[in-house]
Amino acid sequence: MVAILWSKFWDLTVSGVTLGSVYALIALGYSMVYGILKLLNFAHGDVYMIGAFVGWFALHALGGPLSPSAAGWVVVALMFVAAMVACGALGVVIERFAYRPLRNAPRIAPLISALGVSFFLQNTALLVFGASFRDYDTFHLIGAKTYNYGNVYLSVPQLLTILSAIALCVALTVLVARTKIGKAMRATSFDREAASMMGIDVDRVIASTFFIGSALAGAAGVMFGLVFGQLYHFMGFLAGLKGFTAAVIGGIGSIPGAMLGGLLVGLAESYSTGYLPQGSTFQNLYVFALLILIILIRPSGILGRADVKKV
Amino acid sequence: MRRRAIATAALLALAALAIVAAASAKTDRAAAPSAAASADARLISCGKTVTMGMLAPVTGPAASLGKLQTDWAKFFVASHNRNKKLKHKLRIQYGDTVLGGPGGTAEAVKAVQSFGSNVLGTVGPAGSNEVRATTAPLKNAGLAFVSGSATNTELSTDGTRKGYFFRTVPPDSAQGTSVANFIVKTLKFKRVYIIDDQEAYSTGLADTVQAKLRSAGVTVGRDGVSQQQSDFSSLIAKIARDTQLVYLPWQLPPKGKAFGDQLRAAGKGSIQLMGSDGLFDDAFASLGNVYASSFPTSGKHAVVKSFKKAHGGDPEFFGAPSYVAAQVIGGAIDRACKDGKASRAEVRAQVRKTNLKKTVLGLNVSFNANGDIKGGQFGIWKSNAAGTWNPLG
Repeated sequence: MVAILWSKFWDLTVSGVTLGSVYALIALGYSMVYGILKLLNFAHGDVYMIGAFVGWFALHALGGPLSPSAAGWVVVALMFVAAMVACGALGVVIERFAYRPLRNAPRIAPLISALGVSFFLQNTALLVFGASFRDYDTFHLIGAKTYNYGNVYLSVPQLLTILSAIALCVALTVLVARTKIGKAMRATSFDREAASMMGIDVDRVIASTFFIGSALAGAAGVMFGLVFGQLYHFMGFLAGLKGFTAAVIGGIGSIPGAMLGGLLVGLAESYSTGYLPQGSTFQNLYVFALLILIILIRPSGILGRADVKKV
Repeated sequence: MRRRAIATAALLALAALAIVAAASAKTDRAAAPSAAASADARLISCGKTVTMGMLAPVTGPAASLGKLQTDWAKFFVASHNRNKKLKHKLRIQYGDTVLGGPGGTAEAVKAVQSFGSNVLGTVGPAGSNEVRATTAPLKNAGLAFVSGSATNTELSTDGTRKGYFFRTVPPDSAQGTSVANFIVKTLKFKRVYIIDDQEAYSTGLADTVQAKLRSAGVTVGRDGVSQQQSDFSSLIAKIARDTQLVYLPWQLPPKGKAFGDQLRAAGKGSIQLMGSDGLFDDAFASLGNVYASSFPTSGKHAVVKSFKKAHGGDPEFFGAPSYVAAQVIGGAIDRACKDGKASRAEVRAQVRKTNLKKTVLGLNVSFNANGDIKGGQFGIWKSNAAGTWNPLG
């Protein structure tokens, strides 16, 4: 019995870490925006979906998976760049037109606006890209090689996803901790009015936050396409929900928390599928039960800090 | 402040009650026997254009399936309307059922309610649960409904839709038997894993195959995945390496392909894959050396050839039964309209008399008393390394 459970363990772990890497990148976008605006950007999952499509179009503009005009790795890198730039720009546009006019409105208004943007993006994607599934055909693009170490099987796209996610998370951490814009972000997150009085261009900082968060979602979309193969207009809904869950579990507003939350959700999904009865059928039940459990024990998430209110 | 909140809540509750009451009253009127009878027998002038309905998922998670079905139905209508011998042309009024969406089957019921009195019969709905949900409004309206994909066996055997519901795909019982016999008698496999996609079509078929395999002494593992899911790696990790075949009674071929790709990436490429008719498509075939059950259609059929030509070379076989469903409704309308007028009751009667030879499905189509195709059968196909389907007898 133990041998059977153990035989699956590494496969499930690799699968969970891969999926968790995608969720972590989505969760980062939720967390960054919440940290600065205290806004739950429910359109974020759909930005991720647009990123996956932009990657697909970039791939086909570069000759497609069967006859790429450059080496597979170069094409993949350009897909990432295209998706990140396009989604970053989309994030800025969404902030400018859907959230900025409501910045001083009651908190429910931007929330409704976010839901509206989500449906708008979903239906626009259906209208523009059509209802058919699209496939990155990663096997033709970068080969089907799978590395095997004992019980661990790791495919090239999985390796690429995990390494890219780590690189992007490190880059974001350095950006927030060590750069001028990062310092401005932290200041705006701490006290928007005070930051403004200190000469920080708050609008620019918020737009930059949306750009970075949305670019990460775009990267996550391309990663998903590379590993799991297919995209369609509705793919952002559940992924967005899981990314949001990851952000809340990790502690919304916390960058390391978002990464940790993403990994936890990915692993929870994977282990529940592999080990629990009818795990695949009810994986969402298990994942969201975990969310409830963690929130009951730590209402601010694992690495989140409780808001201190001045009275 | 508190009093105002209570007053607002009370007003909202009253408004909600009023809306519910109005909606119930409307439903009651729609369900009244006299209204149903009049909708049934009311004669409509056929004029130059006659309307048929089509209930399909135009938006929502299963929109890709809806597109295949609407493409094929449109293709039939276009070819019908090129026939100059007919006095009238057909047009389709679409009802979006949003299959798999958050609104559940309520969207399908709303779609039926959106049909005008000029609709004489309808293609669809696509899903078995949608058929169940729309039975009452469709029967009350007197409409014949011909589904090209609802295969749950009980839909035609429980007697509640007799005379109204027809389908151009054989039921799960027929497909399940063909699949189980092939696995047990031809492949002689002993370890099989079945993964359904949690929709009525898929779970019904999976149940049938599972029961037949178990009774033949095959060890069967069973799981399910949501149609929205694209990551199968954890599920694949769960499937034992000595499994001989994974059976996927799914509706979305790209999902089947993704599953196959991920199975190989996990180093389990030696496990054989078999899909149901929902995966009988070039996308799934492109994996190479996979099986699928399907009606005995052929890429050489003239209609398939011209459809492929009009749709960038993709035959999109999943939608072919909807072509035949449109053919059934269109033919019934043509016959009912011979005297220039037709009622929904006449169209229903004509649907029952359908007798189509050499359809695009590779079958002659006429219906038994339950609304199923007479002699409906499934064959087994295998794709070669180049991704082309070939029949296995």
